[in-house]
Formats: sequence, C-alpha cells, structure tokens
Amino acid sequence: MNDFSEIENELKKLRPAQVSRELFVRIEQKLAGPQISEHKIIRPNRFRVNWVAIGFGLAAAALFIVLAQISTDRTPKQGDSIAQISPAPETRSVLTGPEGSISSSEFVPAGATQVVYNTRNEGLQFPGGSEQPLRRLRYQMQQTWQWRNPATGASLQVSYPSDEIVLIPISGQ
Amino acid sequence: MENIASHEDWKSCFSELAPGLLLFARQWVRSRADAEDIVQEAFVKFWRRNHKIDNRGLLYATVRSIALDRIRRDSRRTRREAEAVSESEKVVKPQFELLDETQFALAAAVERLPHEQREVLVMKIWNELTFAEIAYAIGISQNTAASRYRYALAALKRMFQPQ
Repeated sequence: MNDFSEIENELKKLRPAQVSRELFVRIEQKLAGPQISEHKIIRPNRFRVNWVAIGFGLAAAALFIVLAQISTDRTPKQGDSIAQISPAPETRSVLTGPEGSISSSEFVPAGATQVVYNTRNEGLQFPGGSEQPLRRLRYQMQQTWQWRNPATGASLQVSYPSDEIVLIPISGQ
Repeated sequence: MENIASHEDWKSCFSELAPGLLLFARQWVRSRADAEDIVQEAFVKFWRRNHKIDNRGLLYATVRSIALDRIRRDSRRTRREAEAVSESEKVVKPQFELLDETQFALAAAVERLPHEQREVLVMKIWNELTFAEIAYAIGISQNTAASRYRYALAALKRMFQPQ
C-alpha cells in the first residue's frame, strides 16, 4: 500500500465541488413536510408481478370449470331419460352409451408442479418512498397443471412460465 | 468523520457529507442537477429513518439504489445523456474544485477509470468509508472492495506517472 501513498495524497488534495445552497433548502422543506406512508409501497410491487401468475391460474381454473360444465350439462339429460323411460332392460342398455361418453369428458385434477429454474438477486431497492432497504429476488418458474380422465386415461396438461419477484426486507448493520 | 455519528443536526451532517455524496451520485448521471436530486432523495429517506449517521454504508447504498432506479426508470433519458456525453466527452463539468493543471489532469485520470474502480475510489478517498462500509453499500466482499481500490490506484499511478 505504501507504493500508493503518494497518489493517495494527491487524490486527497482534490476537493469535491460543493452542493448548492438550494439543495439545503429543498432538503429542509422535504424533512419538514409530511412523510409518505411506506406500508403501501411494497404491496403494489408484489401484486403487480403476481398478476401474471394469477392470470394464468385463472385461465387454468376457467378451463377446468368449462370442462366440469360439460359434464354437469350432460348429467341432467341422463336423469330426464331415466324418469321418462320405463325400467325395461333394453332401455337401460341405451343409457349406458351416454353415461360412457360423460365419463370420457370428465377430467379431474391430477397434479400441479412449480419448478423454479432460476433465482436472480437483483440487488437492494428502496421502492417508492420506503426507507428500509429490500433485497429484490426474481424467481423464474415453470408451472404445470395436469388433469386426467379416469375413464379413458386421457390427460390434459397446461404449462406456462412465470416470474415472481420477492422483496425481502433487510435490516441495517 | 468519527464525530458525524453523534451529530443530531441534519445540516451539520449533511454539510460534511454532501460534497462526497454529490461526487458519488455523479458517477451515474452527468448532470449536476440530477445528482443533487438523487442526493436529496437519498438523504431525506435516510434521515427520516435514522436521524443520525451511524450507518454510512446504508446511506451510500441508498444513493446508489436511487441512482440505479432512476436509470432503469428513464432509460430513454439515460440514452440521450450517454449520447450527449459521448459527443462532448472532453467537456466534463468539473466535479472537483480544481486548483492547478496537475489536479485537473488527476481529475481527468479518475474520470477514465473503469466504473467499478472509480466507485470504490470515490467512496474511499472523498467519502472516507471503510472497506466494510463500501462492501455493504455495493454488495461485494471487503476483499473485492480493497482489490478494486488497489487496481484504481495502480491505474492512476500508471496514467499519472508514465515511464
């Protein structure tokens, strides 16, 4: 380090430019003014990012509801037929046809996976007005939803990528 | 600098820290006015929470974070600034109170340092931060901070004292 003492001394002789007086006034005004509540700051960040995942989740749920609706639409028809038709053996054998087709369209949830394939530390942040530093971590994931038809063995799979940003408060040293 | 921790009055704290903070902020923005905006936002945020300077690493981390946020938020403006800087690279607005030609040359040499090294140098020389505080502010190890500092000094020595 001694090799650098001369250059260090020369550097220390350089004096950084002074700030303007106006800056003092502005800071004084800011410090005298009302504080912005920081509690509201973090949430929008989380929710904004989560909307993507929520959107995909809702789409998957909607798909499931549509499939379920198909099943429920067909079930009453089956009931009506039973009420109108006499319990003759041949009639019952006809009913087994639609029943089989109903079950072939019934998909039941078979699983959901969420694979985190990348985690990135995006450094410290002070989201809008917050005074506490937050560590911003981005998780990149692949989410997969699966449905299976027990009768036919057919399966349906929806897979989509998603990002999630998590802000972790860190305490000062 | 040790007495800063006991100051209760923000003005006395800020008076001592402001020139170094401004120099630190100007690494990311070329305009002095923008740098003052960053310093203002960071100091107000920091002071409201702490009311004293007992964690300078956090203060500089705040300045750095706000500066980087500003760059991300306004990338078009940054691009315009970068273009303006490249066009008038030699017309650097003075960041130091220059006294003579030697100091002017030294200031220019500091400007030419890689950003990572200049950042550590500015915090060490003109803000008198320890390597531990620098490491906390930037999010690197103390050894890395010390290495960058030595590389900066070595580079300056080479630039300033040619064989």
